[in-house]
Amino acid sequence: MSCNTSVTRLCVSSVNEAQRAPVHLTPCEIEHNGPAQVSQYFTATTKNRKQEQTVSFRGRCLRGQELSCPQGYTGLVLKEINKPGSDQEDRTVKVSSVFDKLTYWNLETPPNSDDTVVMAMDWPELAEAIHGPVED
Amino acid sequence: MDLSSFEADNSSSCRLASHIPEVCRTEDCCLGIDEAGRGPVLGPMVYGICFCPVSKKEDLKDLKVADSKTLTETERENLFQKLDEAKSYIGWALQILSPNTISTSMLQRTKYNLNALSHDTAIGLVQYALDSGVQLKEVFVDTVGPAEKYEEKLSQLFPGIEVTVRPKADSLFPVVSAASICAKVARDRVVKDWKFAEDLGEVDTDYGSGYPNDPKTKAWLLKYMDPVFGYPQFVRFSWSTAQTLMDSKAATVHWDDDDEETGEKAAQRQNNRSMLSYFSASAGGKDHNPTRKTHRFFTERRLKSLNTL
Repeated sequence: MSCNTSVTRLCVSSVNEAQRAPVHLTPCEIEHNGPAQVSQYFTATTKNRKQEQTVSFRGRCLRGQELSCPQGYTGLVLKEINKPGSDQEDRTVKVSSVFDKLTYWNLETPPNSDDTVVMAMDWPELAEAIHGPVED
Repeated sequence: MDLSSFEADNSSSCRLASHIPEVCRTEDCCLGIDEAGRGPVLGPMVYGICFCPVSKKEDLKDLKVADSKTLTETERENLFQKLDEAKSYIGWALQILSPNTISTSMLQRTKYNLNALSHDTAIGLVQYALDSGVQLKEVFVDTVGPAEKYEEKLSQLFPGIEVTVRPKADSLFPVVSAASICAKVARDRVVKDWKFAEDLGEVDTDYGSGYPNDPKTKAWLLKYMDPVFGYPQFVRFSWSTAQTLMDSKAATVHWDDDDEETGEKAAQRQNNRSMLSYFSASAGGKDHNPTRKTHRFFTERRLKSLNTL
């Protein structure tokens, strides 16, 4: 772990150039960093039934649903421009795409309100209540 | 045989059936069960039943049905035609188990193996015949597993029906041969004309027999591997042939129910900061203040503060 003497900079201007992109949160970790044929393999075989979506990935059944980012928030996909050689150097990331909703997938379990990522979206509202300015 | 309902969604399991002959509702009937496409790594497995009145057994024999494996494709198509022409006393039904159904069943969290899937499918088809009013008295089944246990299981499930389970039943009983022909004809047609749900453009259909040891099948599996997604749904992901190829040539995928990985290894990997690690309570770990425990609200949601990317 770095001892945090380095600074990570975000190129804010890149937000405006960033395209809106579909984002999927999968219940597995894929050891792959790079482009993938998502629309050809994944989107093309996804089935929609009411709120719930089903698809299979690597022969396993996934069930998912769309989830919006909390009000007032935008999701960012960040990409590091030049990977530094050591963890002491400053880092620069730019926004490669933005999203205001994502599809998250469970392995076989139907999506429900107890799913971690759904519950995680409670925080911004609660944070606002706790930390926000007090008005009267 | 109209396969359009399966082809409309070839990722699911689908039942196709002939009209039920009126005579099968009034006379004692015999029924044969067989399957096609158990071994191949490509395409569906098809279960078939065929039934006719016991009094018509000789007529069925006269159609010269034989074990589908000893026949050429043309001979099978011709025999199926004959069975279809005898629809006044012969009925059939098929259950097409898509390769995706096979993969997702066998790779389920609580594993559902191929034998269990096969038995349940066969039982479902017998039940279908009974529910349709067929007066079943004799059932003949071809088996690959231990015959006696299966016979006992079926006899218990269907009291009053004489169940005979035999290896190679498809060459012993014409009604089983007839079932095997129906199943094999359906499997061949589906495989030959597979509609890829994936957007792959023109797909080379020279995939051979679909058996793992067929060089054409092997070459096809190599050609159509995607590093991320592995294969189209036409392939049975649960077959070791497919898994071995993916292990060596495609990206490794980790699931939370993988059992070969130790917790320590998983934790190490998490430090590589996957998308998921942003929601993970255990990732990083060093920046936790040991004297202050994170509130359950955050751990339940796998939320943590990040001070580095």
